[in-house]
Amino acid sequence: MRGREVPVETRHQFREELLRIEEAALEGLDMVVHALELTTTALDGQDARHASLVIGGDDRIDDRYLEVHESILSLIAREAPVATDLRTVAAILHTIRHVERMGDQCVNICKLIPLAGNEPPVHTAILGRIDEMSQRLRLQILDAKRCFSERNLALADVVARSDAQINRLNREIFQIALEVGNDFDTREWAMHMMLVARCLERIGDNAVDICEQVAFVVTGKFREFSDASHPNIGRSSGDAPWRGV
Amino acid sequence: MNTRPAKPQETIFVTTPESIPERGTLSPPTAPGTGDQTAGYAAPSEAPNGLGVELQDLHAHYGQQHAVRGVSLTFASNKVTAIIGPSGCGKSTLLRCINRMHEEIAGATATGRVLLDGRDVYEQGLDVVSVRRAIGMVFQKPNPFPTMSIFDNVAAGLRLTGTKGVDLRERVERSLVGAGLWDEVKDRLGSAGAGLSGGQQQRLCIARTIAVEPDVILMDEPCSALDPIATLRIEELIDVLKARYTIVIVTHNMQQAGRVADSTAFMLSGELIEVGPTSQIFTKPDDDRTEQYVSGRFG
Amino acid sequence: MSELVPISPRRRRTDLIMRGIFAAGTMLALVPLGFIIYYLLRRGLGAWSWHFFTSDPTGRFLGDPGGIKSAIIGTILIVVLATAIAVPLGIGVALYLVEYGKRGRLANIVRYFIDVMTGVPSIVFGLFIYIVLILSGGFGGFAAWKGSVALSLLMLPVVTRSSEVVLELVPNGLREAGLALGSPRWRLIGRVILPTALPGLVTGSLLAVARAAGETAPLLFTAFAVNATTFNIGQQMNSLPIQIFNDVRQAQDRIVDRAWGGALTLVVMILLATLVARLISRRSHSA
Repeated sequence: MRGREVPVETRHQFREELLRIEEAALEGLDMVVHALELTTTALDGQDARHASLVIGGDDRIDDRYLEVHESILSLIAREAPVATDLRTVAAILHTIRHVERMGDQCVNICKLIPLAGNEPPVHTAILGRIDEMSQRLRLQILDAKRCFSERNLALADVVARSDAQINRLNREIFQIALEVGNDFDTREWAMHMMLVARCLERIGDNAVDICEQVAFVVTGKFREFSDASHPNIGRSSGDAPWRGV
Repeated sequence: MNTRPAKPQETIFVTTPESIPERGTLSPPTAPGTGDQTAGYAAPSEAPNGLGVELQDLHAHYGQQHAVRGVSLTFASNKVTAIIGPSGCGKSTLLRCINRMHEEIAGATATGRVLLDGRDVYEQGLDVVSVRRAIGMVFQKPNPFPTMSIFDNVAAGLRLTGTKGVDLRERVERSLVGAGLWDEVKDRLGSAGAGLSGGQQQRLCIARTIAVEPDVILMDEPCSALDPIATLRIEELIDVLKARYTIVIVTHNMQQAGRVADSTAFMLSGELIEVGPTSQIFTKPDDDRTEQYVSGRFG
Repeated sequence: MSELVPISPRRRRTDLIMRGIFAAGTMLALVPLGFIIYYLLRRGLGAWSWHFFTSDPTGRFLGDPGGIKSAIIGTILIVVLATAIAVPLGIGVALYLVEYGKRGRLANIVRYFIDVMTGVPSIVFGLFIYIVLILSGGFGGFAAWKGSVALSLLMLPVVTRSSEVVLELVPNGLREAGLALGSPRWRLIGRVILPTALPGLVTGSLLAVARAAGETAPLLFTAFAVNATTFNIGQQMNSLPIQIFNDVRQAQDRIVDRAWGGALTLVVMILLATLVARLISRRSHSA
């Protein structure tokens, strides 16, 4: 407020409601982290039981999506948010969609596990990288959550950088899988691991998208941190063509 | 001096129009239920003819009280500009300075320039009557003249200014059509103006204002005293009117500013804080104080 | 939770006592009025007759004293002339106060003096006109129009005050609307403000008329009295208050009765004027 007197807070209920919806959406990220941890365990042990837990638990994430979506619509209809509030509302809607996508990716990974066979070959080059991707992702998602709740754009850069590594690991896994050998079982397993890596890479992209939403809320401008046409991290790709005003 | 495209009637000050040439035929009101949004409104038959208004360092006082502090602002021609701000921020005072109604209050003074198409309305020796014919005003509380019929009300502006040589019947009909009221009152032009509903009365006042063919229409919270449906009808009317007039509307209803205005200006404590395209003011305002106000954090 | 209880007997009793007190007070105030009406009717109605209204006072003490025709006509003439002077002037002053002067210094001074004028005894107006217009010698002797001038001085503050109130009641929004249309103020007054205020102005003027019609003192020194009916306002003229004043002091009963008849006539005329005023204001409110 820069030295001006603090204005009396009005619209208390509206602000509290908006905050609650935001927290509910961000909690979805916690659910995704939990699903990711279970997925990692399932991957390590080729454990069908953990996999089915993830698949069943995705309902909670989907429910959370519906709940947040409905609350946002109701808020817009009743309260007519403008300016920063309006951008926040738009960001929450995008974010919860990304949460739901991330949950779906975990489910996709888990669906691949029983297909990998009961006596899988242990290929540390691939498995090691998968593990590294999972660990990074976990931190990445938590950072994205903090980025949103704190409106902290420095964390957005951290997430973007981490995602560059995820992309690198994904490419490496792809290369290794190509040269994995002649054994049919091993090749089949490697294919599946490649798909798993791709799902993980997608999760990473969703986390970066959430940070882009945070940048939009704070600056009012939409900036792609990285996409297929501009693989360099941290550099602004210029304004997206549909930026308003 | 005039570089604007030719207009049949000059509304530059002090001259009185001798006669109004034919402006094109009135379009007959379309049947109800045809879904035509402009039903009952005359289609403008010529180029838009509102004029731009520019305020330069405008100050206004009520005695010692400094109500408007150095406001410089441009109102683009044939556009709607809304002025928003909390109570007492000076927006109504600012509006009244534009058509020199401010000086009608005892002890009220104003300095600065108000340019209508480049000519200062506060110029020495200028006939204030001619200023007010070029810049009309619609007030918060509908105020049709109670002793006059609907016809007389619409013609009142012409009669009160001593305008000669105008076909009153034609002008009254055209004005009522332009205000979207013709269909509802054409059979009872002789009945009392005060016998209409609030929304109809306000549209009657609008008809009265446009009957003198101003270039600019000022509106001081025109819908505050009306119910939501009447409000929406008037907002629709504003959208049609801007094709022919420049409109400045003071409103405390931000949703209304959002619906009708091309540009929005935000005032606080007599100062102009920010002005810009309406959608920018309401999605990403530049100034913190604007953000606070439109988000409802104070007001 | 608040409880809803029936009215207590003590409250009811207090209520009834207060109502009784107010009713008694009202009755008390109406008693003198009742007496006046009773006496007027009792003593005055008897004097009314066709002869009473159609013949002039003869001035004779014995025999037929005549009627009050000249007095009625005189009152009407004098009061109409006074109205013609006082009402336009009064409304004009009120217009100045409301539309132009407002709270300015001159306007406040004018208001103050108008208020003072309402308190001036009517006989002072009569004396003033007597001194200025009669004793000074330049304007001749007693004359009806001088009586009218004296009455108009009496009416002026009443008309001004009531007109000022009525004009201030005209909603300011109408003035704003007219000014914003580009109307000069004088046209606004003529075409909007006066027509809107008209019923109230008429009512106020009629009440001033009713007041002036009954004043005796100003006429004593100005119009004086003659018996014959005359329409010449440059000469002395009879009027009801003077006639009553003279008659009531006579010894003859018939003449005194004529005084009562005259008083009743005057009251009825004033009553009619007041009724007309009320009708006009009621019609304008319901419109």
